[in-house]
Amino acid sequence: MSNHHEESGVKSSLTVLQKLQRQWRHMWNGNPPGFVLLLIGTITGLLMSVPLVYVIVRSLSAGADSWARLIGGRIPGLLWNTLSLTVAVTVMAVIIGVSLAWIVIRTDVPGRKVWQWLLAIPLVIPPYVGAVTYIIVFGPSGWMRDIWNDGFLSVFGTYSLNVYSFWGVFFVMTMFTYPYVFLIASASLRKMNRNFEEVARSQGMTTSQVFWKVNLPLLRPAIGAGAILISLYVLSDFGAIAMMRYVTFTAAIYYQRAGFDIPSAAVLSLVLIVLTVIILWLEAFSRRRNKFYQTSNTYRPPEILKLGRWKPFAFLYVVLIFSLAVLMPIYVLVHWTIVGAGAGVIDAGFFEYALNSVQVSGLAALLCMVLALPLIYLKSRHPSVISSGIDKLSYTGYALPGVIVALGMVFVFNNHLPALYNTFYMIAIAFVVRFLPQAMQAGEASLSLVSPRMDEAARSLGYPAWKVMLKVTLPSILPGILAGGALVFVSSIKELPATLMLRPPGFDTLAVRVYYEASEALYAQAAPGALLIVLVSILPLHYLLKRY
Amino acid sequence: MKVHYKVLTISLLSAGLLAACGAEDEGNNGSEETNGGANNNAAEENNAAENNNAAENEEANEEDGGEAAEELDGELVVYSSRNEIFVDALLEKFEEETGVEVLALHEVEPLQLQEEAGNVQADIFISNDVGAMEYLNQQDLLAPSEPENVDTIDEQFRAENNEWVALSTRARGFIYNKDMIEEEDVPQRMEDLLDDSYADVEGGYAITRGGNGGMIGNVSALRYEWGDEETQDWIESIQENASGIFEGHGDIRRAVGEGTHAFGLVNNYYYHQQLEEPQDNNVGFVYADQGDDDMGAIVNAAGAGMVEGGPNQENAEAFMDWVLEEENQLAFVGESLEVPINPDLEPPFEEAVPFSELHVQDMPLRELGDYFEDTRQLIEDAGLDLELR
Repeated sequence: MSNHHEESGVKSSLTVLQKLQRQWRHMWNGNPPGFVLLLIGTITGLLMSVPLVYVIVRSLSAGADSWARLIGGRIPGLLWNTLSLTVAVTVMAVIIGVSLAWIVIRTDVPGRKVWQWLLAIPLVIPPYVGAVTYIIVFGPSGWMRDIWNDGFLSVFGTYSLNVYSFWGVFFVMTMFTYPYVFLIASASLRKMNRNFEEVARSQGMTTSQVFWKVNLPLLRPAIGAGAILISLYVLSDFGAIAMMRYVTFTAAIYYQRAGFDIPSAAVLSLVLIVLTVIILWLEAFSRRRNKFYQTSNTYRPPEILKLGRWKPFAFLYVVLIFSLAVLMPIYVLVHWTIVGAGAGVIDAGFFEYALNSVQVSGLAALLCMVLALPLIYLKSRHPSVISSGIDKLSYTGYALPGVIVALGMVFVFNNHLPALYNTFYMIAIAFVVRFLPQAMQAGEASLSLVSPRMDEAARSLGYPAWKVMLKVTLPSILPGILAGGALVFVSSIKELPATLMLRPPGFDTLAVRVYYEASEALYAQAAPGALLIVLVSILPLHYLLKRY
Repeated sequence: MKVHYKVLTISLLSAGLLAACGAEDEGNNGSEETNGGANNNAAEENNAAENNNAAENEEANEEDGGEAAEELDGELVVYSSRNEIFVDALLEKFEEETGVEVLALHEVEPLQLQEEAGNVQADIFISNDVGAMEYLNQQDLLAPSEPENVDTIDEQFRAENNEWVALSTRARGFIYNKDMIEEEDVPQRMEDLLDDSYADVEGGYAITRGGNGGMIGNVSALRYEWGDEETQDWIESIQENASGIFEGHGDIRRAVGEGTHAFGLVNNYYYHQQLEEPQDNNVGFVYADQGDDDMGAIVNAAGAGMVEGGPNQENAEAFMDWVLEEENQLAFVGESLEVPINPDLEPPFEEAVPFSELHVQDMPLRELGDYFEDTRQLIEDAGLDLELR
């Protein structure tokens, strides 16, 4: 009897297991990944979100006292500062980006082919570097003051332009973020089908009516995507904002943590996280609402409009933006680099900082390339709820401002990993958390071009999964992975707030030096480093342009 | 089938609960680990043996060389809350003279030492605010020391057991632009800033952010003199009326020099620094509260202390001895152009007003430590710690 019972028990537990097993296979569409692959993927995904979780936990345990004080006093003002700047910059950058894209893609403005990439260059100038050049030119003792006061402009009174104001920050941030919209809008204008416009025209619409009723609605997804990138950037920027003496949430968190008021920093971070999530949600929402289909089988490239008498104005506008966002900053940097080189600031110290930058960014790039591989393989070869969950987790650090990632890292390392605390590895890991998705995106694009049949063929010949990945898949997607590494490298070289917060004693990078020297008004010392950062950043511009 | 079953359970477990991973393979991995471990250990032992030999050799060499000056090597981690231009030359001098590699972190907030108390990173703390140093001392985060030349510093400028020793001093006052404002129109007392009319001066005036160490010391001194209520009014008044709020005092002296603001609240040595500039140097300075009935100028000092439990204690002690050598006391003052505390030393800025000629606030500097924490709170409540304009 009892024997019988046992047997049925074993049987039923077996069937439960079989059911689970079936469900598991079903979840993976009959193709579950290997254990090691899944484990590596899961751990990476979870690690990427550790700083975020830690910050949230700390903010919730900050105590009602901190919360009440901050909500009553500080948060409303910061919200106003942050949101007004974000909205103003986003709106202005969209206007500039779309108008420039329209002019260089759809009209016969002189040099339109060249402008298409010249106008994207501000993307490689970190806004804190841009801010320095604006302070040098328009600051209270800048070049502009001398030109103004010594020239005919002095009849308007003494020079009174204040760059350290909302409008100063607004202008600088707009000049160095509009390329996001410009690039995305250019790409979608290029793809726009001429048939729609011709129909509209045959109904008697003028060019401006066509723009508002046909082009603009078709551009909405592109504008939305660009606007999201810009507003997320404004929320997360520290360098330019601190240099222009403006205080947003990000800057406030930086100062609070610098003063080691950790509970306040954590509370402010939570608010910033909520703002970020709202923007991301708005993006998902608007994407769902706006679906436009362009038929590809009848596609005809758009026609180039004749500007006629507007030509000089359009050309002038393009030249003006290019001068303000590219020529002037580069000229200022080159000028001060020459002055600095003459004064011997490019010394052993300079090379040490450059080496530190390369070392820490290189390590981050390497780690990202290694970690991205299992993640993208998992996502593309074993699609399921779990792999897409892991994929989303890996994006947490990317979506969040660097100060929050750094704040989380300080908590985690100081309390739980003291051996790594205050080493440069901590910065490299922060870069991985921040920029891993850049490596993933580049790798994914390559992997999507490699047929899964190749994997299957290799497996059928007896290779285990890991060997397939290394021997078959990796070589064919290596260019994509390397491009991803290059992107991570450049982003890391430019990164400022996390580096400032996490650098160990005696370890300064170029970005840190540029920030410090510029805030001490030592422009000749700041310029060579800033110029070097810009030059390095130009390297992957080619890749970025191809992507959009 | 069996393999699948294993994979399934493990995957499920790991997906749900990361901690549960690898249980099935423990046996295998475990034995591998033991092997690997054994190899590693052997290798380490070899290394250790080599190191020991090397160390013995070195010791032998040292004995041969007799007892020349104590040989120092290794590192010294310095946390400094000062601007790095004032400290760099000093630290380089120490590096050159002793061979110790200095790893410095600048503009550190004192509370970082508190945050790292369980995982001490720094050996030496350099600060320009006695309040911060004494506060850390009260939290047992600084270590007592007995530097050789410490008697050259008056006892009121060091902690009870020399947990910190101040080397240079400064007084608060107003730097002003002579092209923009007459000396008598500059505030003469801290109290004057309660008057809203200074907001209407051409160009207005400048202060630092409340998070700045100098400002914290300033507010603590006012609380000592006036109590919290009036001090709070004072903070609110300057927050309301200042037209420039900067990250540091260097920004203020430049802004006043170039004519953006008529005057600014700074330490006296920023005036000395601006005078040395090749241009924009038509500035003057008013020491605050010098009248007979006034409280006297607010004074603070900069100095150094040894961090409790720092990783390189021997080098830290050597640093304290070294920095108290008279030559190095002057190097500590360095580019800042402050006034050395040691009365035997000539101030590097010749026209600096000696403190004996100043009417100085009657408050033991150590008191600042008792005020440090509440002062920060007061500033934060007013929101001045985050304000920039």
